[in-house]
Amino acid sequence: MPSYKLTYFNGRGTAEIVRLVLAAAGMEYEDVRLEQDQWPELKPNTPMGQLPILEMDGTMLCQSNSIARYVAKLAGLAGKTPLDQARVDMVMDGMVDMGNKFAYEIYYEKDEDKKAEKKKDYVEKYVPQFFSSLNKLASDGGYFAGDELTLADIAFYNMVTMVNPYLEQPLSLDGFPNLEKVVDNVTSNPGIAKWLKERPETPY
Amino acid sequence: MSSYKLTYFNGRGRGEPARLLFAAGGIQYEDHRVEFAEWQALKPKTQLGYLPMLEVDGTTTISETLAIARFVAKLAGMVGKTPLDEARADMVVDVVKALFDKIVTLHFEKDETKKVGLQKELFEKTMPTSLGNLEKLASAEGYFVGNSLTWADVYFYHVTDMITANYPDLLKDYVNLNKVVGNVKSNPGIAKWLKERPETPF
Repeated sequence: MPSYKLTYFNGRGTAEIVRLVLAAAGMEYEDVRLEQDQWPELKPNTPMGQLPILEMDGTMLCQSNSIARYVAKLAGLAGKTPLDQARVDMVMDGMVDMGNKFAYEIYYEKDEDKKAEKKKDYVEKYVPQFFSSLNKLASDGGYFAGDELTLADIAFYNMVTMVNPYLEQPLSLDGFPNLEKVVDNVTSNPGIAKWLKERPETPY
Repeated sequence: MSSYKLTYFNGRGRGEPARLLFAAGGIQYEDHRVEFAEWQALKPKTQLGYLPMLEVDGTTTISETLAIARFVAKLAGMVGKTPLDEARADMVVDVVKALFDKIVTLHFEKDETKKVGLQKELFEKTMPTSLGNLEKLASAEGYFVGNSLTWADVYFYHVTDMITANYPDLLKDYVNLNKVVGNVKSNPGIAKWLKERPETPF
């Protein structure tokens, strides 16, 4: 049994999707959380100078979604057929779009007026439209691919909970019953439920 | 035998990775190109409101550029031979996509001051860092994963193909990366496609 070591800073950030998948998979791993001053020494020894990284058996992987997909594959959470796997990938990519849009238009926007305007747009126009499409993709049992939990469901939950703390109110799932079911399925997965109770409280 | 229909605009853009991979795999598909005029009417009927889209056997639709590309790469046996190789390919694609996204953002930025700042950051920091890292990840034989062509190589070629139109010296000093581009262009299926594909402005 290889040993897995995940390295990130002391926060949820871009590593949390990996931690959630590892939890759902019931896989043991070392959850290394670096202080900012420990990072410069490690940085040149990582594949792309970024965190998170996953190490096992002398190999290092980076890029949070690639790591998450790899772990999901090992745990049978990546989708059972090439087509299901593509459905999972599609939702994950959609989550990246949603996150990038938030980061670029809102999080990194320095002009306060512009920021407020973009936030309004995001919450009142973009998200409801996108959630409407996503609600059609999710089954009424609350799964994006097949009829059991996959990385896609976890990715949706992760993105929504990542963005929510920066908004005046959490994003609403009213009118999107399938998406509500997705979130339920994720939070009630035994491994994930345990992790959500035990994980360190961090500002991000 | 499954049937595949790829829908995108009449250009390379985000449709081309799938087209290159269909070509590399020698897989038949319908290359449906939508004019911008048709798009407004088509948009509400699409799965996520944007293109590209891949329809499989007329029954299932997949959206998202990379999800489609990875799926076609699987059909063509070009994703990597083990879960770890697949992850390495994914990792490379993620980095190349991030670079491409920055270029697209720069291209569409209307605020002149912001544009100058983005350009500076892109060319003085992001590009050299990413290309430097990618150069280390590519083998001396010109493959990002193992010793045969994977979709990581093809996607890298596609993005640099899009960029070098405006920045011809992009890969000037990168030996391994130039080898990757050479390997992609000389793949028989891809070489044929590069000769035959429609000339388009993007």
